[in-house]
Amino acid sequence: MSESVERLPQGTPALRLHRQLSAIWATGPGLQRLAAVNHSVIGLRMMVTSFAFFAIAGVLGMLTRVQLATPNSTFMVPETYNQVFTMHGSMMLFLFAIPMVESFAVYLTPKILGTRDFAFPRLTAYGYWCYLFGGTILTVALIAGVAPNGGWFMYTPLSSNVYTPGINSDVWLLGVTFVEISALSLAMEIVVSILKMRAPGMSLDRMPIFAWYILVTAMMMIVAFPPLILGSILLEVERAFGLPFFDPTRGGDALLWQHLFWLFGHPDVYIIFLPMAAVLSTIIPVFANRPLVGYRAIVVAIVALAFLSFGIWVHHMFTVGIPHLALAFFSAGSAIVAVPTAVQIFAWLATLAHGRPRWDVPMLYVFGFFFIFVIGGLTGVMLAMVPFDWQAHDTYFVVAHMHYVVAGALAFPMLAAFYYWLPLLTGRTAVHRLSVPAFWLIFVGFNLTFFLMHLTGLLGMPRRIYTYHGDEGWNWLNLLSSLGGFVMTIGFALLVIDLFVQLRYGRRVRRNPWGSTTLEWAMSIPPASYAFASIPHVATTNDGSAPGELAVSLARGEGYLGSVRNGWQEALGVHMTSGVPDQLIILPNPTYLPLCTALVTAAAVLSMLFKFYWLSLGFALVTMGLFVFAAQSAGLARDYGPLPIGRGVNVPPHTEVADAPAWLALICTLVADGTLFTSLLFGTFYLWISAPNWTTAITPEPSRALAFGAVAALVVATAAARGSLRTATAGGKASGWIALGVMALLVAIAAAVRQIAGVVPDPREHALGATAAALLGYVTLHAGIGILFLVSNILRQRAGFISPRRVLDLRLTQLWLDYTLITGVIAMGLVLTLPALVTVLGGRP
Amino acid sequence: MSERPVPPRHLWWLAAGFTVWCSALVALYAIHGFGCAFVWSAGSLRLWLAVALLAHLMVLGWMWYGISRVAPDFGFGPTGVFLYWAVMGTLITALVATAITFGPPLLLATCI
Repeated sequence: MSESVERLPQGTPALRLHRQLSAIWATGPGLQRLAAVNHSVIGLRMMVTSFAFFAIAGVLGMLTRVQLATPNSTFMVPETYNQVFTMHGSMMLFLFAIPMVESFAVYLTPKILGTRDFAFPRLTAYGYWCYLFGGTILTVALIAGVAPNGGWFMYTPLSSNVYTPGINSDVWLLGVTFVEISALSLAMEIVVSILKMRAPGMSLDRMPIFAWYILVTAMMMIVAFPPLILGSILLEVERAFGLPFFDPTRGGDALLWQHLFWLFGHPDVYIIFLPMAAVLSTIIPVFANRPLVGYRAIVVAIVALAFLSFGIWVHHMFTVGIPHLALAFFSAGSAIVAVPTAVQIFAWLATLAHGRPRWDVPMLYVFGFFFIFVIGGLTGVMLAMVPFDWQAHDTYFVVAHMHYVVAGALAFPMLAAFYYWLPLLTGRTAVHRLSVPAFWLIFVGFNLTFFLMHLTGLLGMPRRIYTYHGDEGWNWLNLLSSLGGFVMTIGFALLVIDLFVQLRYGRRVRRNPWGSTTLEWAMSIPPASYAFASIPHVATTNDGSAPGELAVSLARGEGYLGSVRNGWQEALGVHMTSGVPDQLIILPNPTYLPLCTALVTAAAVLSMLFKFYWLSLGFALVTMGLFVFAAQSAGLARDYGPLPIGRGVNVPPHTEVADAPAWLALICTLVADGTLFTSLLFGTFYLWISAPNWTTAITPEPSRALAFGAVAALVVATAAARGSLRTATAGGKASGWIALGVMALLVAIAAAVRQIAGVVPDPREHALGATAAALLGYVTLHAGIGILFLVSNILRQRAGFISPRRVLDLRLTQLWLDYTLITGVIAMGLVLTLPALVTVLGGRP
Repeated sequence: MSERPVPPRHLWWLAAGFTVWCSALVALYAIHGFGCAFVWSAGSLRLWLAVALLAHLMVLGWMWYGISRVAPDFGFGPTGVFLYWAVMGTLITALVATAITFGPPLLLATCI
């Protein structure tokens, strides 16, 4: 049970406090809405945007069903069909599924954690704008008839220049990467916020299970997205500049793309599923009227699932010619991943079995989920068996399975969540006369559409064909599938009508209409911009609190931070495990910077798309400059020492503590960056061992002097970073050390660029040279970003943001440069080792 | 609160067991790829794979033993106890997953 806290001496009546907080936290009217950084506003926008893309992708899906409803259909020509089905998959996965689950996380997580906002509101806003612009690029390409047309996983060599010479593939590579920037930035934001910004007293064992799911999902995103980002960059570089990473005629290998794609693609299924499991684990106990069974077992299952999901990417590649023994690793892994999933299913069933379940609209969708996910899970185990997969690969059986596990496991919990939390957004409940038939239409339509595809697939219908002759025995199955698609669409249309009816005529609800136990209901409905007028203290497990009673106390300002100060947007930072408050986090106010930065990023992407490469580089530099500029207004320009936060507790501001959110955020960034670097190393070794023509290439002769020079310069830079930190901590000015660091990094960049210029064989002629250039380019880029860190340090030191107590900037720089040095040594070492590796290849029997 | 907070670095232990599982996957897949590319004999390739698997199983077993021989530190309060059992759960799960995922495949034909 969460307890109400003592009234602060300076406590204010609820209404007055509301007005004061609103003046600080609210997003302004009119054009000022574009400056919004608040998680509620951004979360809602993401939700609406993702549903808009869902509608577009849904229409595209319907078009494919119209085309396939009858044999020899001329509804679409093949080229149009290719674009339509590619965009259906790409939009559903990249523009709807991932952003939609993120929008739920963005909107709900701070509220469920009992905090006021995320740790980096400007990053949230930047992430949203990147998503919107990236999605818009893809949508405009579709309208213009130049949309991607190589399938949603863009396999090479089909997507390479030779077979797709237009900009279709570039649209996918650049647009999707742009959207991934958004996903990655939000994932980091979520990890930091869950670990550092929970309500005081909410230790890890008291954390709502929803937050555990979202935490693990966000961590998975941090590791899962970089391989695809790297793959997209390498393929775009191949298409734009001719570096042949995936071209077997020049020492590349098309299968490298499949590895990089599925290293992302398989975990992505769980990245979509886990947040929906979070929804189920939150909703089911509420409707079962009892706490969730097996909280600890579920936490273990989530961790297991997260790891196992990364180790089974090759089950998408069972037919590419990998030896049986290696296939068996992935086959066994694919089967075993069902176990932690089953642990959750049984925990939900046990919760229902031991509780007193009541039925309402969300539970209808929970029922739908159970039915559909179990079918999808079982066909997944079938496909995990190599002999069966060889038979069913690239048939409609796989399409059916994929829709059951991704679409079904996403759509039904999503709609359960939709009906469950909509009263929080609107203050009204659904109109049952519409929502119940809507459910049945969606449920029946879904199964009619996709269950029959199992049979079509078993009868041998390949996926992605634009028509068929009519004598294969697929006619009536395809017709019924298409009919089911229309039934499902009618269901979704009814659901949209239900939403509008609810907004206008829905019955007004009291606070916490479902009798929930999580903190998002301990606030006004719909939520205010500041979420909580004061921050609650969680005394026991959060899944057992009574939000209704707590809400009144919090609204009166009887929790932490129950008053305003200096016009600051204040939130609390806590110890990661215990939840003891340890810092006051001052969040930035609304600003147009995220929008401007995203616009410039979009300009860089568009310039790249239209092959204005120098212009693109310029915009990329401006984007980085804007990040440095944004950092100039972060933090506080003087020392404050411990400040009162209520309940007799004083904590320092986040600028004066060691484990500020930015520190954890940089660690998350480096984990993502390290994954990308590891993927690059994997790519290098993969090509070395698998790609043809490496032994016949000109033997590389990397310059040892330049390599050692670059590494020595990076060592000097890290030493300078340490010197600047020591000097600033002692109260001195670190300008000299910072200048030395900049000089050293410039030397490192010069040495690396010189090496790139002298790479043999020519990077455009052979993948051996291309991989060396990529490794050296990685070092150059990181040294360049190191310079930006140092420039920011100088500017912020001059502006008074650095003092002996406030040295976080310098610590961040040191961490970045340490990372740059470590990866630099590895990259340079590998470049120097390449000749020996090629020689070893030549000695093969 | 009278109990000591669990140091944040202890959270890494939640990932430790399955990190070893990942390491086993990477090692076995790499050794297999290398062995097949350089045409090792089936016997020596299988031996190397078995050694790598055994090494990972031993590491996991050692981690499990190390954790299980000490009782949860009640000085860390309920959070410490929760993390203790969660870490224990992940270690056991990772050990079983490593044995099941990578053990039986070693009996198959090596490079066909």
